[in-house]
This record gives sequence, C-alpha cells and structure tokens, in this order.
Amino acid sequence: MKKIRWGTLIAYVILVIFAIITIFPFVYMILGGLMTFQETTKIPPTLIPKNPQWGNFSRVFAQAPFARYFLNTFITASVTTIVSLFNALLGAFAMVNLKFKGKGIIQGILLSLLMVPGEAIIFTNYNTIARLGLLNTYIGLVLPFLTSIFYMYYLQSYFGSISETIYKAAKINGASDWEYIWRILVPMSKGGLFTVGLLSFISGWNSFLWPLLVTNEDSMRLLNNGLTAFASDAGSETELQLAAATLTVLPILILYFIFRKQIIRGVVRNDLKG
Amino acid sequence: MKTNQKKAWLFLAPTIIFVSFFSIWPIIRAFIMSFQSGSLINLSWSGFSNYQYIFKDPEFWLAIRNTILYALISVPVALAISIMLAWFIFSKVKNKALFETTFFMPYVTSTIAIGIVFRYIFNGEYGMLNFILRAMHLPAPNWIDDPAMSLTTIIIFGVWTSLAFNIVILMGALRNIDPNYYTIADMYGATGTEKFWRITMPQLVPTIAFLLTMNIIAAFKIYTSVYALFNGQAGVGNSATTAVFYIYNKFQIVGTPGVAMAATVVLFIIILFVTFLQRKMMKKIGGR
Repeated sequence: MKKIRWGTLIAYVILVIFAIITIFPFVYMILGGLMTFQETTKIPPTLIPKNPQWGNFSRVFAQAPFARYFLNTFITASVTTIVSLFNALLGAFAMVNLKFKGKGIIQGILLSLLMVPGEAIIFTNYNTIARLGLLNTYIGLVLPFLTSIFYMYYLQSYFGSISETIYKAAKINGASDWEYIWRILVPMSKGGLFTVGLLSFISGWNSFLWPLLVTNEDSMRLLNNGLTAFASDAGSETELQLAAATLTVLPILILYFIFRKQIIRGVVRNDLKG
Repeated sequence: MKTNQKKAWLFLAPTIIFVSFFSIWPIIRAFIMSFQSGSLINLSWSGFSNYQYIFKDPEFWLAIRNTILYALISVPVALAISIMLAWFIFSKVKNKALFETTFFMPYVTSTIAIGIVFRYIFNGEYGMLNFILRAMHLPAPNWIDDPAMSLTTIIIFGVWTSLAFNIVILMGALRNIDPNYYTIADMYGATGTEKFWRITMPQLVPTIAFLLTMNIIAAFKIYTSVYALFNGQAGVGNSATTAVFYIYNKFQIVGTPGVAMAATVVLFIIILFVTFLQRKMMKKIGGR
C-alpha cells in the first residue's frame, strides 16, 4: 500500500508543478498589467502590485484605438462564424441526406483539401484580395474564411448519427429539404452546431497572419495585430503591454470558463474523427 | 434504382464556390507563381530560377534547419510530457475536469498575447524565469537577446503551447480504453507500471500517431509564436527565422513573390510527405 501512495504523491506534485507553469503566464499577465513600470522591471521581480494601477487600462485605450480593434475583431469573428456555419450546414446536409452523382469525388476533393496547410495558400489569397481592391475592408478580412471544410466534415459526422428514417418520415409528411434542415436537423444538433460555432469564433478572435497581410490601416486592425503594433510602439512601457494583452485574452478566457465542457468535448470529437 | 438528386449541388454551391476560389485556385496559383519572377503586378516566366535561388540562399537553409530542429525537438518532448500528465490525471486524480480545464487554457488563448507575456518572463535581467534559475544556482542565459538561445526559447514556448491540445486528446483516448482490461490486470496483480506499458500504451498508439502528425505539421508552420516572442523579428539577427517567416519576408517585405512561392511549394511538399508517412504508419500499426 505504501508504494502506491508514494506514486500518487509524486504524480500530484508533478501535476501541480505543471499546472502552475501553465497558469503562471496568465497570472503574471493580469497582475503585471496592474503594476507600475518600476514594479514590472524590478530586480528581483515582484508578483503582487502594491497599488493596483487600474489606470493602466485607460492609458491603453488612450494610446491606441483598442475599442476599435475590439469591434473589428468581434465583427470579423462573428461574420466568419455565422456564414461558415451556415454553408457547412447546407453542405453537410447534402452530403449526408442526398444521393447524387459525383458525391464521392466531391468528398475526396474536400478531404484532400483538409491536408493543405493554410500558410501555403494565404499569400496567393492575399494576391486575390488585393486585386479585388479589398485590402483594409471587412469583406477582405472575412472572404477566404466563409467556408470551412473542416467544420463541414465535423457536422457530417454529427448528422450521420441522426437516423435516416427521420429524414424519410419528414419527407413523407410533406416537409421540404429546407424545412427539414431548419425544423428538424438544426434543433436536433444544436449542441454540435453550438460547439462548432464556439471553436470557430475563438479561432477567428485569435487570427493573426491573415489580418496582418490584408490590413495596414490602424482603423481596420484586429486585436492581435493591434496588440503587436502597440507592443512595438509602447516598447518601454511593459505594464501597458501586459494590460493590453490582458484585454485581448480576457474575453476568450471568460467564454472558455463558461463553456469549457462543450469546448473540450468539441475538440476531442473533432480531432479523433478527423 | 439509382437516384441522382441534382438539388444537392444547390446546397453545396456556396462551399464549392468558396473552396474553388480560396483553396483550389490559390494552390494552382502558388505553383504557377513559383516559376515566375518580378513584382506582383508584373510577373514573367523564369523557369526554375526561383528554386535555384532558394536552394542557394543560406537564409532559406537556416529557416529550414530551424524549422526542422524545432519540430524534431519540441514535438517529442511535448508529447512525452503530455502522455505523462494525461496518464497521471487519468489514473491518480479524482477531480479530472479541474486539471483538464487548467491544462487546456493555452489552446484557446491568443498566442500573440501570451507570447508577449513570455517575452517578459524570459527577460534576461528582470524576467521571472531567470530569477528562479538564479535562486536555484542554475545558469541564467539571456533567452531573448542572445542569438544562440533563440531557438531554445522558441522550443520551450512551443512545448508550453502544445501541451493543451495533446493532453485533452489523450484524455479522450484514455477514457475510451475498455475498463475491463484494467480490472482483469488487477485480478492478476499487475502493478501500475505494468498496466501502463502493457495496456495503456499499446491502446494509445493510434492517438499518439495522430498527435505526432498534427504536431509536426503545426511545427512546420510555426510563425506567430516567434513573431510574438521577438517583437515582430525572427530573433536577434534573424537567428530564429522559420520557413513561414522566410516566405512572408520574401513575399511582403523583399517583394519577390516568386521566390516566396517556391519556398511555399517546398514547405507544402514536406508537409504532404509527413502526412503521407503518417498514413502509412497508421495502416501498419493499426492493422486496419
């Protein structure tokens, strides 16, 4: 018995050490954002600010248009999520419930496109957007991301678990495909749709390389790009950088803590099937 | 009876249109551009000269070397730590959700924001990491400003960020193992170590193979975390440049899209090759 207890103790110690390593940057970010400049660069470093400097946040908003970044990020992440979910929903419905010539080919093409790394196509997409004159516009920011093969594939596996007899019964009762989608399919797979929506919104919120390419006007920047620009402009003001980082991360962290079960379950399901 | 419900194309239309324009066309375009030179508005054919250029460019080789080193070190290290932590949570902890929620946090948060935080934690003078290292009488290197350290710094940050996804996926796989295996092993008096190596590990092999591929592909695309750690640079004196950094630099800053696309094609082929290898491996191991 004694041997097993030791094992458990060691396991706990290691787990707690790694948990601290995981959480520490977040704690340091939030506390550092409330310090004075002297406190952030003190040797030896401190962790607890003497007087929390709430004013740091208003200084961040005064020095860079963070409110605008928030708005831009919210708009692009929401639009991308809603439209790509809508497209994925229709596509997944067709792939699961309808029979047509060429289905196998379409499925094959889509699956092989899943392997294409985004970084390989992002630069030529930039070229397309630039030619369309859509640099520094919301449309340019969202356009290449309005479909997601990945989420469509995910929904396909979700819809596949709904019995086909339900679709047939709906057809016999005179429901059109459109009615079936909105009155049966969507309500029955609310959980899956919600999870996909959450994951899509989070990845939209955290996007970096694409908005870096297609925007250079300050008013069109997204949070992460605004943050890096701010970090180089406010180079010496460590406390403001940490406050700005807190502003960027906090909304997603709150979302995460509310929906952590759905998010984790969604990711596990997503990736074992893919 | 064979049915051909043509209306399916109507439902698939938005997907097909967007995919053609923003996934298929850009791949073709990238291939074409890799054989062209000049600026974006004025491209002309130049055969293989872009490929000749990158293969002679020492910066390209440094980028590839860094990217491969990063992948080869950070991926196995992160995976080993993840397996250990996931197994501890699974086998020893009652409140599994608490640890899962904690370890998953980095997955949902912005790499840029956390990278900026790490820049201060890694700071040579006032950083928290060196404070701890000095307190333990260990060498405290200059993580950010020393070119010789930049790759190590990126690897540590890379391991930190990739634990989240690995642990959660591994936990999912551990939960799927038939508990009867463990019950029977207990009946025969197997120890914890025996159970881990004889039951758990063999059952985890497909998941580990999957994570290995996902992680290696992600490692080959590393860009954002370097950008955040070194404030938009690829380390001091470009010491930590990576494949995507090279591509971005040639495309946007130097203004030679052809060269950038040639590098993209090379990276693309490497990634496809890794994916292909994994498929083969999975088939052999999984036996299905």
